[in-house]
Amino acid sequence: MNTFQLNISSPDGKLFSGEAAELILRGAEGDLAVLAGHVPFITTVKPGEVRVILPDGSTRVGHARSGLLTVAHEGVTLLGDFSWD
Amino acid sequence: MGYNTKALKNRIRSVNSTLHLTRAMGLVASSKMRRANESMNSGRQYAAAFGSVMDLLTACPDCIHSPYMRPTEGKRVCLVVIAGDRGLAGGYNANVFRLTESMPREKVIPIGKRACDRYHGEFASSERYTGAQASELARELCRAFLAGEYDRVGIVSTRYVSMMTQEAQLTWLLPLERTEGRENATVDAVFEPDETSILNTAVPDYVAGVLMRCIRESFACEVAARRMAMDSAGKNAQTMIDNLQIKYNRARQGAITQEITEIVAGSGS
Repeated sequence: MNTFQLNISSPDGKLFSGEAAELILRGAEGDLAVLAGHVPFITTVKPGEVRVILPDGSTRVGHARSGLLTVAHEGVTLLGDFSWD
Repeated sequence: MGYNTKALKNRIRSVNSTLHLTRAMGLVASSKMRRANESMNSGRQYAAAFGSVMDLLTACPDCIHSPYMRPTEGKRVCLVVIAGDRGLAGGYNANVFRLTESMPREKVIPIGKRACDRYHGEFASSERYTGAQASELARELCRAFLAGEYDRVGIVSTRYVSMMTQEAQLTWLLPLERTEGRENATVDAVFEPDETSILNTAVPDYVAGVLMRCIRESFACEVAARRMAMDSAGKNAQTMIDNLQIKYNRARQGAITQEITEIVAGSGS
């Protein structure tokens, strides 16, 4: 399975840093999933559930209240008001 | 002579207890130092990561029309002043207040007990400031800025240069400024929905990030400044004790010599 580097940070500190297989969240124009090799992309995050699917198939669920998602070739960054459930 | 030695002994005892106090405060500061440094670094990373995206956005030609980037000439300045919860940290609080006093300001939002006391604000601890509090304050600042209540919003905080050096600094939060040299940068990324909307939505989070970075950095400065101050206070107390001890020994010896002289003189007659 292809994975990508994912970083999640909130003003309180870094909450996740590592490889992920998939990231599902609510973007400005609807729900979206990010997989490895996604085109460079910037959007705002709407309040809602955030799911991170790890390379081993397990899922971590969190909640975002607001934020900014940046998808670049180097990796994916989610910055904002975020916490794990 | 008897009275003099007693007074000196009391003095030595009191300086000694001050020495213990400064040592204890120095140790507390040292133990807080590591954690303060870690959270400062995570705050810096967050703000830097957010800042690089904001640089991209503000460089977009369309974003110049964003209400957050309106050029300002007005003098209504709102300052967020970040100072410590406690004193005895050398010039830490004084430097922040001096910089604040030198700025034109219409409203001051204090963070940290010392700042709250001085500017009569609602109490907010600078040591235990949470991300949620920062988000709330950031939203309020953005709302007030958009409503035109202020022309500029800035933060007075302390910059951490090293363990030995910290300096008060002023960071302008709003309006956003275009980073020099990025005007013609093109980004091959998809913006959804578009640059201006993303910018407008992301600003409160960005402001919260910068606020949090400044608070964390200031706290690390406070701890470092206190450690330095307590270190030198401890040294001074030790020198004082040494000097007093010499004085005490001389006084004691003087008293003994005098007594002997008196006895010898008495037996001789």
